[in-house]
Amino acid sequence: MHVRLNDRAFALLLLAPAALFMLVLVAYPLLDLVRNSFFNGMLSAPDAGHFVGLDNYASAIASPQFSGALARTILYTLIVVPCELVLGIAAALLFNAIGQRSAIFRTVFAFPLMIAPLVAGLLWKFLLSDNFGVINWILHWVGILRDPTSISWLSDPTLVMFSVAIPDIWLTTSFVALVVYAGLQGIPGDILEAATIDGAAYFQRLRYVTLPLLRPVLAVVLVIRGVDAAKTFDVIWLQTQGGPAFASEVLSLQIYRTTIRFGDLGQGAAIATMFLVAMTVVSIVAVARVWRPGEGARRA
Amino acid sequence: MRRVGIIAVLFVLVAGACSSSATTAPGGSVTAGVTLNVLVEAGGYGAEVTLAKAFEIATGNHINFVQVPYQGVYDKLSAEMSSKAGAYDVATIDEVWLPTFASFLVPLDSLFTADVKSNLFAHEVEVAQQGGHYVGMPMWDNAEIIFYRSDLFSDQAEQANFKAKYGYDLAAPTTWQQYSDIAQFFTRKDASGAATLYGSAVTGAMDSDFENLSLQAGSPGTILDANGKSIINNAQHQQALQYLTDLVCKYKVSPPNVAASDWGATQNLFNQGKAAMMMFWGHAYRFIPSDAPVVGKVGVAPMIAGSAGIGATPGPWFNVIPTSSKHQDVAQAWIKFAYDHNDFALQAPLGLVATKSAYNSVVGTAGFENIKPLLDTLSGPATKDRPLVADWQKIVDNVLVPTVQKAVACGSSPTDLLNAADQQLKSMGH
Amino acid sequence: MPSTAYPARRRIQVARIAVVVLLLLVLVAYVFPYAYLLGTSFKQSGATLGVPPSILPPVWSLDNYTGLGNHPEIPQTFVNSLAIAVLSTLLALVLGVPAAYAISWYGTGAGRVFFVIALVVRMVPSVSIAIPLFLMLGRLGLIDSWIGVALAHTTINLPLSIWLLAGFFESVPHELEEAARVDGCSRIGALVRIIVPVMVGGIAVTAVFAFLASWNEYLFALLLTTNKAQTVPVLIAGFNTQYGVDWGLMTALSVLYSLPVVLLSIGLQRKVVAGMTMGAVKG
Repeated sequence: MHVRLNDRAFALLLLAPAALFMLVLVAYPLLDLVRNSFFNGMLSAPDAGHFVGLDNYASAIASPQFSGALARTILYTLIVVPCELVLGIAAALLFNAIGQRSAIFRTVFAFPLMIAPLVAGLLWKFLLSDNFGVINWILHWVGILRDPTSISWLSDPTLVMFSVAIPDIWLTTSFVALVVYAGLQGIPGDILEAATIDGAAYFQRLRYVTLPLLRPVLAVVLVIRGVDAAKTFDVIWLQTQGGPAFASEVLSLQIYRTTIRFGDLGQGAAIATMFLVAMTVVSIVAVARVWRPGEGARRA
Repeated sequence: MRRVGIIAVLFVLVAGACSSSATTAPGGSVTAGVTLNVLVEAGGYGAEVTLAKAFEIATGNHINFVQVPYQGVYDKLSAEMSSKAGAYDVATIDEVWLPTFASFLVPLDSLFTADVKSNLFAHEVEVAQQGGHYVGMPMWDNAEIIFYRSDLFSDQAEQANFKAKYGYDLAAPTTWQQYSDIAQFFTRKDASGAATLYGSAVTGAMDSDFENLSLQAGSPGTILDANGKSIINNAQHQQALQYLTDLVCKYKVSPPNVAASDWGATQNLFNQGKAAMMMFWGHAYRFIPSDAPVVGKVGVAPMIAGSAGIGATPGPWFNVIPTSSKHQDVAQAWIKFAYDHNDFALQAPLGLVATKSAYNSVVGTAGFENIKPLLDTLSGPATKDRPLVADWQKIVDNVLVPTVQKAVACGSSPTDLLNAADQQLKSMGH
Repeated sequence: MPSTAYPARRRIQVARIAVVVLLLLVLVAYVFPYAYLLGTSFKQSGATLGVPPSILPPVWSLDNYTGLGNHPEIPQTFVNSLAIAVLSTLLALVLGVPAAYAISWYGTGAGRVFFVIALVVRMVPSVSIAIPLFLMLGRLGLIDSWIGVALAHTTINLPLSIWLLAGFFESVPHELEEAARVDGCSRIGALVRIIVPVMVGGIAVTAVFAFLASWNEYLFALLLTTNKAQTVPVLIAGFNTQYGVDWGLMTALSVLYSLPVVLLSIGLQRKVVAGMTMGAVKG
């Protein structure tokens, strides 16, 4: 039986299963979240709350912890995303340059992904500890640090945001490198050959041929990682629980703390909703400017 | 390829559906054949696993432990409270959660006979009562005691030097002054200025030291009074925070940057032989690794005393029954069994119990040297529980821990910090 | 001519040395923490937190691994983790491949809207949808089952898969499909027989990430299981007790838990390489 669908209907048909799934399993909890933000329910009795209008939003915005967490979230994203993009792309190019022999390096590079973020957070807490952390001792043995306890990675308020970023960069550079590497493999070899024959040197080929062809993949990686960085939770929570004295408290930690530790469902939902709205705006802008999916596609 | 994938999915879906069948039988019987689901964290599991086997032999009912991380117990009990699914019959919870769940717990008044009440510590009985009923039976109790390096304290040269410098004999500290003197005495540096030994570990990332000291100084309660109103900046709390700050900032008896030292860090500093003393939870005595440098060199003593005597904030854990449990009578039988055979828990790694009789049964036994100091501390005149208000966790996270961390960062005056904390508590309704 | 060939060769040699040095740095930076994890799992408990710390165990000991023997629930949790990860990966691919194809190849407005929604979904902190999801799945009787957790994991995996796949689809030249259509293939036929095989590398990478996301996920696994479907990360987290981390058992279990995925990624690397060669030739 052959029903002749036009392209547009065909595309919608392909989208339908995924859309249905997300409608049921995500839209409903999200609506519940937004609903909760207007009530003052507690985690232990979520349905027993009263309608409080915008109170939760007002008290969240007024609290100094919220604005601090917001600033720290932006700072964290600005630290983490550029680092992992630059390092990841460089690594992918490096692997690509040595071709098949890079298999062992790619496997090694994937190690951080094998370790649960849970474990990675605890491991790095261990490594960065002032007293018995190996990192400080290695710096001491190599001669960079006079005293192995002189850098307090996780308890110095001015340093802590950078310190908690280290495991995240370690974990996610792998992701970027492997995805970009896969993208590089999709670039047809003859285009690059043609460029070389035309006299282009390595960096010229990179700039004028490779990177433009990689643009969709890079855009995807940038957007995914940008969102993930803003959302980072496990790694920071496990290392410092937001300390010392909230110096590493980002929004996702604050949402967790408010919703789960304090049991304040309403306030937690309000912060989460605001976070979501902000991220939606950012992502619409990002998708529109950085990448338009289906740009080179057949017109439907 | 997609076709194969779809079949695989269907297969696993079917298999998955078959794996999730109900565990609990409808209704319940007091007799045999019932499986109780008990929610515990690691310590609870260790303490109760042998008890469970004995219970099974005695009654023919099976105990199934659901072991989760510490915060997971709170998370899952909260989820249970909202879904009322009957997933758990008993939970072993930290006392700080009792107010939150009190309305959701089955009253255990019938278990609290006069004998039972006199066999438990006073603070346990007080805390178990929420909203006019006893809602939990203590499973184990814990308090912070003094750990010290017995090898250093019994060394002749050290004793002579100490006596010469301070004028009294070197022994386990019993007062604030002694603790401070001994800590200063044992803070040693080598020729290059690097520390070789610290006088005392200080847990700068937790509120427990501060609370203990405030009680020892004679405060009528710690942080909040009996009506839930803030007393955090009264004279005794100021003395307590000043003492702690002096140890870290003035006398420098601890490693720098203790603001990030949690319990694990403190315990490890002592176990690695880098600290001469620590104030730590009593169970840690049996947790010293067999290959640690301090094995055989650890002495224990009751918590120090302030002007109000020995004081500490204990940490009891309670067995509770959610009202959604479908086997409440068997659950109650299990809790009673756990109480009657409380001494079983002594053999667990945690080695802690809740009853005086159980503790007394091992006083003087080798390997249980920490029990007498624990008993003394738990019965101390100034020993009192933390205030059990519904937003206690919020108070700890937003007020107490940051205050202590700022104090031990040595840039602020304790009085100023406590006044600010008081303002914060007032704005939270206390 | 020999005189012009010489400087070129020198440049290549310098470049080669630079590449080797960089690769070595990468190797060390990336292997070291994992090696430290591995080493710690073989240490006795005192040496684990020793000051000064050691990288290799001063005394090699299997205590931590034998200690895991006191937890008979471990094999079942491995099975649970595997089943859930496989289920959610398959679901993510089955739903995601058509959706990503539709978005990138047909460029409809609906597709773009859907794409942004997928992004928004990914932004929700897990803790915020975990509670409503728990209540909803509870009503469906799916708590403590493989399907329940797999469905929750798919909410994480599906957006990720759609983006990654859309990105890879974008990089495939449209001429391929046009050539197939000219040869008489239907749209689905072209998708399945021509485009997907070229995309095998990308699909494999996506599958690996989806699998890993589910394998290592903690929060949903904690809240949506009681004991029958409990996964290994929940157990690992359990070693982070109130009084301190049981590093020995934790590192041992983490090492064991990471082995299957290490093997999986090695196995899939070959497939990825094979798929890529095909794609390069087709250009």
